[in-house]
Amino acid sequence: MRLVGQVVNLRPIVNRPSRPTAGSIRLSCARRLLLALLLCLAFLPSAHAQPVPYQRPVETAPQADTIGGGYKTPAVQKPLPRDYWLQVLDVLILAAALGISVWLVLKRRSRKWAVALTIGSLAYFGFYRQGCICPIGSIQNVAVALTDRAYSIPIVVTATFFLPLVMALFFGRAFCGGVCALGAIQELVVLKPVRVPPRLDRALGLLKYVYLGLTIFLAVKPALGRDFLICRFDPFVGFFRRTGAPHMLILGGGFLLLGMFVGRPYCRYLCPYGGLLTWCTRLARRGVTITPDKELDCGLCAGACPYGAIEGMRAVRKDCLYCARCYASCPRDGGLARAKAGLVTLS
Amino acid sequence: MSEPVTRRDLLHQVVRGSVLATFAGGALFLVKKAHGQVVWQVDASRCVNSRLGDTGAEACKLCTTECVVALSAVRAVNEYSKCGRCNICPAYFNITSAVDEKGLPSEKLCPRDAITRKPIGKADPEDPANNFYEYIVDEEKCDGCGKCVMKCKEPLGLGSIVLRVRYDKCVNCNRCAISRACPKDALMQIPVEQALRPPEIRPGTE
Repeated sequence: MRLVGQVVNLRPIVNRPSRPTAGSIRLSCARRLLLALLLCLAFLPSAHAQPVPYQRPVETAPQADTIGGGYKTPAVQKPLPRDYWLQVLDVLILAAALGISVWLVLKRRSRKWAVALTIGSLAYFGFYRQGCICPIGSIQNVAVALTDRAYSIPIVVTATFFLPLVMALFFGRAFCGGVCALGAIQELVVLKPVRVPPRLDRALGLLKYVYLGLTIFLAVKPALGRDFLICRFDPFVGFFRRTGAPHMLILGGGFLLLGMFVGRPYCRYLCPYGGLLTWCTRLARRGVTITPDKELDCGLCAGACPYGAIEGMRAVRKDCLYCARCYASCPRDGGLARAKAGLVTLS
Repeated sequence: MSEPVTRRDLLHQVVRGSVLATFAGGALFLVKKAHGQVVWQVDASRCVNSRLGDTGAEACKLCTTECVVALSAVRAVNEYSKCGRCNICPAYFNITSAVDEKGLPSEKLCPRDAITRKPIGKADPEDPANNFYEYIVDEEKCDGCGKCVMKCKEPLGLGSIVLRVRYDKCVNCNRCAISRACPKDALMQIPVEQALRPPEIRPGTE
């Protein structure tokens, strides 16, 4: 192994005496011999135990003009972040989806189209944008930006935070219904919802305010101790990204499984943004109304609502998640009424 | 004729108006304060895989294991202008593996076979030491494990391969999951305008 030591001591290797001719890179004879020797040494079985005696054959990187022969240095791949106008477009799509949600549910009163919007939002905000056009998570950014002088948020994030809240001030929780990706994934798995006893429902509903408080508390701490709880414990984002920590995927799966029997558990009991929306919705000018003027008091709508948002034959705005199931089940409104009308004309 | 306004409605309107005004004030404050987006980037002079001095150890794989994006948003990138284009590249070959009949190491280094090479000009089989190659990292295969980065740095290589956040993959988390785990605080937030010129690879050597 003495040899190895000697070779290593020879560094740096011969400097290139002159620029090589175009089209080739030539090494001096001596240097080539040295290199061959080095290579032999590098792959001796005994080399395994020792530091690798490999030595690179060049001292500097050959550039395009040294290499010659028309060689061009390829461009290094540097994909840029999403263009600003695309981020603005995302916010515009969010605003449009909110508007469409209100229109479909309050005006068209169509469950079918509301589901279509839900699927569209899940596809775009969920699977395509990977759950990151997220008013829920923006609570933290807004909280930090309001309290930390050094922290600022892009205008698009400010817009993402305020748009659904302003909408809720006028029309209720339109965001929860057809727009929110986290809501959408739960909306689509509702299978056989059981009625949660009202008192338990109310008690569990307080959890979201606890979560909201905890989230803000951890977010407004000094920069080093700061934590973004909502993003870290987002139960469904792992599905959107098709990857994630096993415990979070299990948690998300658990929520979906539970969601088959308890309608949208995350939205009703944990979502901190849902808490803010609930407050705004109390002031809403309009909301889901069940068949005004042609009421039967049959109660089918209350049975159809998986979220316990119909009390005394009236939609409770702060709990209503804009799913439009009540219309679909109403004999005087929506799908059922239309089907009945069809039957009448047939007979 | 409009419906008579009840006291309840009026109260609602007043409260709604004041909430809206609060929102507008908050939004204005935030918009005035806003100065552009920040993005995460790996500081190559801090990353143990690329910083000088840390040799011999196993490559740090935290970028692969911690990132929330499939495979990882951090990938190895070959900065071609710094690449030695060596025949026996320590980041391409496992230089401790046995030599085959052509005089080349028999194993490749990348566990995902993400690095390919093609000869520059005509490869001369008689004279392997004088053949030069272009090394290309397939960004779709790479998972940012950092093995090649560790081998490419001085003194074995020229340090042309570094780990870098790919912004087409990165979802720009509020707190990057890798940064939370990184022992050297190598991930940092930079203004998006700087994304085109990432932190210098080896400070003090150029």
